[in-house]
Amino acid sequence: MKMQHSLFALAVATLVAGAAVAAEPEDIIKYRKNVMKATAGHMGATAAIVTGKVDYKGDLADHAKAIQALTKDTAALFPKDSDFGDTEALDAVWKKNAEFKKHAQQVKAKADAFVKVVATNDKAKIANGFKELNDSCKSCHKEFRKEQK
Amino acid sequence: MTGAFARTLVATGWLLAAPLLLAADPPPSGPMSPGEYIYRASGCYGCHTDEKGGGKPLAGGHALKTDFGTFYTPNITPDPDTGIGKWTEQDFIRAMREGRSPAGDHYYPSFPYPSYTKLTDDDLRALWQFLKTRPAVKQANKPHDLKFFARARTFVGSWKALYFKPGAYQPDPGRSAVWNRGAYLAEGAAHCGECHTPRSALGGIKSDMHFAGSKDGPDGSVIPNITPDRNTGIGKWSKGDLVTYLEMGLMPDGDSAGDLMAEVIDNGLRYLKKEDLVAIADYMQSLPAVEHAVHKPKKKQRSEFD
Ligand code: HEC
Ligand code: HEC
Ligand code: HEC
Repeated sequence: MKMQHSLFALAVATLVAGAAVAAEPEDIIKYRKNVMKATAGHMGATAAIVTGKVDYKGDLADHAKAIQALTKDTAALFPKDSDFGDTEALDAVWKKNAEFKKHAQQVKAKADAFVKVVATNDKAKIANGFKELNDSCKSCHKEFRKEQK
Repeated sequence: MTGAFARTLVATGWLLAAPLLLAADPPPSGPMSPGEYIYRASGCYGCHTDEKGGGKPLAGGHALKTDFGTFYTPNITPDPDTGIGKWTEQDFIRAMREGRSPAGDHYYPSFPYPSYTKLTDDDLRALWQFLKTRPAVKQANKPHDLKFFARARTFVGSWKALYFKPGAYQPDPGRSAVWNRGAYLAEGAAHCGECHTPRSALGGIKSDMHFAGSKDGPDGSVIPNITPDRNTGIGKWSKGDLVTYLEMGLMPDGDSAGDLMAEVIDNGLRYLKKEDLVAIADYMQSLPAVEHAVHKPKKKQRSEFD
């Protein structure tokens, strides 16, 4: 019985490990696109609040924190073998990886700063912090992404 | 004009094959003069600076690859020998208004004077004053590397006779001041149509396709339809959406503007006054909706001259 039990455990462990090793590039690509889209959803919602299109100020901090959580390690979404498939990531992501990582750190820094600035309730500072955060998304896209429409 | 020439023009506009990527003009150092304001709105820096090659601002040498061959933009700094330092204000106004050099030659419309011609005399003079304050850079112009049929400047004359209407923007008295300001900026300084309006067989603007997008953008990029058509254009965008996009390059779904549009915004539109962006949005929303879906081309057509 005991033996069976551990065999079972072993089998499960192998299965799980196997799944992790075999994470297909296509799945990683889909995952990172979903993370990016989720981030973008919060950016769009934040923009509508910050520019005064809608009045959901009470939600602003939630969106800011969600963006912060989703951008904490952007570089990890781009492992080495995920360059092939239905992706808009340019080769430069891996060829100029040090620079790419700088952009990833930049967006994290700006998202952290945005959470702090939202807490101040200062309208002008919030607008400015949001612009800087948006610029950090845009500048990475400019260099490392080519839209395939 | 030969058939081959006409066919080549189907593939691109004069401007469309110009990769302006990654050019970044430093932000204004203080309050902008009227001349700098027009300069920002018009995107001179992006074309006249060879950022990729480490070139100095406005010293030219930026390669614009088109189906006519490669244009190398000239030096427009005030250097007297290699730039436009010896030009008079009249020379400058003639270049922008009529697309002619001080010696009377025609410029190729890869220099978007068909839009800049709409600028007022006041704005052209202010722009000239501003350009004169830019640091002079000694850098000789590189000759264009054009295909045989495009080499003679005289042939630009026939193109101009067909498609070029010189003259400053004439306000439409039936429209509001805001609308007219938006039309002036969009059609003149910011030359939105040079990218967003597809071309006829002979490289002229297709007026019934005004702002309706093109699938033959540079490097295989697609230029979106920005008419108010709800399905194929941006009819679902609110005016506020448009202003946010022009101001910071953020789309309503939270994605960022990419490609050439990111340059247009980052080097220019972001520095414009809010009321001017609202005016552009106002004008764009008044345009006729054109149903025109732009899809990624399956394979880039090559001309027989390659
Ligand atoms: C470090 C570089 C980098 C940063 C920073 C970055 N992105 Fe991205 N983003 C990419 C790349 C590369 C792609 C293309 C991914 C692919 O197609 O595999 C992408 C794709 C996207 C997409 C398209 C997803 C899809 O469905 O195809 C969206 C939306 C997006 N990013 C939003 C954002 C937002 C919002 C931010 C800022 C909060 C951001 N990104 C920050 C590199 C970055
Ligand atoms: C889309 C790219 C593009 C943009 C934007 C652009 N130019 Fe040019 N410009 C050119 C090209 C290409 C030529 C060369 C045309 C030719 O040789 O016929 C040129 C030529 C010129 C010349 C003539 C120089 C000479 O030595 O004869 C002047 C002056 C000039 N541009 C000024 C400007 C100013 C001012 C702006 C902004 C308001 C501007 N350009 C924006 C591409 C551009
Ligand atoms: C140098 C070429 C160029 C010029 C000039 C230009 N655009 Fe664009 N525009 C583009 C490209 C390329 C895109 C697609 C951007 C992307 O892939 O994210 C675009 C996208 C857009 C979009 C987003 C549409 C969508 O469905 O995503 C709007 C709105 C827009 N442009 C408006 C304008 C306006 C208004 C002007 C003039 C003030 C202008 N553009 C001038 C090239 C240009």
